[in-house]
Amino acid sequence: MLAAGRGPGLEELLGEVARGDEAAFERFYDRVSGQVFGLIRRVLRDRAQAEEVAQEVLVEIWRTAARFDPGRGSALSWVLTMAHRRAVDRVRSAQAATDREERAARLDNDVAYDQVAEAVTTRLEGERVRRCLDGLTDLQRQAVTMAYYGGYSYPEVAGLLKVPLGTVKTRMRDGLVRLRDCMGVDK
Amino acid sequence: MNDDLHTLSGAYALNALPHRDQGLFEEHLARCEACADEVRGLRETAARLAAGVAEPPPLALKRRVLAEIAQVRQEPPRPVRTERANVVPLAPRWRSRLAVGLAAASVAAAVTVGVVAVNTVQQRDRTLEETQQLLAATQNLLAAPDAVVRRVPMTGGGGATIVLSPHQGKLMFASDMPGLPSDQTYQMWLIGPTGIHSAGLVDGGGGVRTATLAVPGEAERFGVTVEPAGGSRQPTTTPILLTKLA
Repeated sequence: MLAAGRGPGLEELLGEVARGDEAAFERFYDRVSGQVFGLIRRVLRDRAQAEEVAQEVLVEIWRTAARFDPGRGSALSWVLTMAHRRAVDRVRSAQAATDREERAARLDNDVAYDQVAEAVTTRLEGERVRRCLDGLTDLQRQAVTMAYYGGYSYPEVAGLLKVPLGTVKTRMRDGLVRLRDCMGVDK
Repeated sequence: MNDDLHTLSGAYALNALPHRDQGLFEEHLARCEACADEVRGLRETAARLAAGVAEPPPLALKRRVLAEIAQVRQEPPRPVRTERANVVPLAPRWRSRLAVGLAAASVAAAVTVGVVAVNTVQQRDRTLEETQQLLAATQNLLAAPDAVVRRVPMTGGGGATIVLSPHQGKLMFASDMPGLPSDQTYQMWLIGPTGIHSAGLVDGGGGVRTATLAVPGEAERFGVTVEPAGGSRQPTTTPILLTKLA
């Protein structure tokens, strides 16, 4: 799991998966499943639901491996984008309006981003993430983490933080840009 | 480049756009290579955030996933040309009505061949008469003086060709669509001032699919989502295609 982000060969492994190699898929699974499951669980919170969505995503990787295009980003980014999207879809579609309000109220109390910052510090591979998150302004950090870890849409983030819509979308963008530069992601 | 749309790249990379904005932004993305590049970098960045919350899944999950993939057929790779279409925008906006007559005429010849092939393969059971009726309706639509032809990108790659004739109140949708698990289907929607209305299901078996539907005058947008088999009363997932009709 530690090597998932930088280990060489995740793309090559995915190529083998695309050719129907189940053993390669198992190795791929071992490399990405921790991040897939952790991310989905962070967004959904509910463990049983997270397992269900993680299973869907991991099977989807097998099914659509041949559609991965290295020209459009790394294998890890492809996998995690899919995982995040599924988790967010689940949050937004399955929950009744009252659930959403309840969730929003809960967020007011337990402030998701602080929890996240805390969780991140406990993990070696998260140290850089935490340091880079620390380098953001409060509003940038809140906007980015509430969207990514909380699964909130930008209008919801704006409502919860009581700031204008335009400000939130700008902060999401410049926050990510600053993170990108801090983490040394290829542009 | 539309600055307002452009600033949505961060929210898009974080999957934080509401459905409606997401469709709009993806239309924009298909035409703006600089934006696609930026989104790629921001997505990579967002993915790094997942490293901080990694958590070992239960062992039972691995057993379930490995058991399931043994029974799931893999999708074939996309042809290279389709792949590039995601990156290089081929899609014209709705063409001007003047250009349409010409466009429809030239497209008609090419598309008709495709429609015949599709129908004979996929709808083997249709009677010849039904096929001829469908073909006539398609040709009629393509030849309508006010028909507009447009290529629209779809989330996850590929795209759809949409032919719309406001005068006939008809829309034809054609796309080479990825296969879905057997418990899912594609569903078309028309969106207008009275809400979102189902416009029918499209078989999720994968391959070229076409559908012709009636479009009421007040409809403003056309969308496609992935839904549980049998369809939904209202969309439950992010549209893979969403486009304006006017």
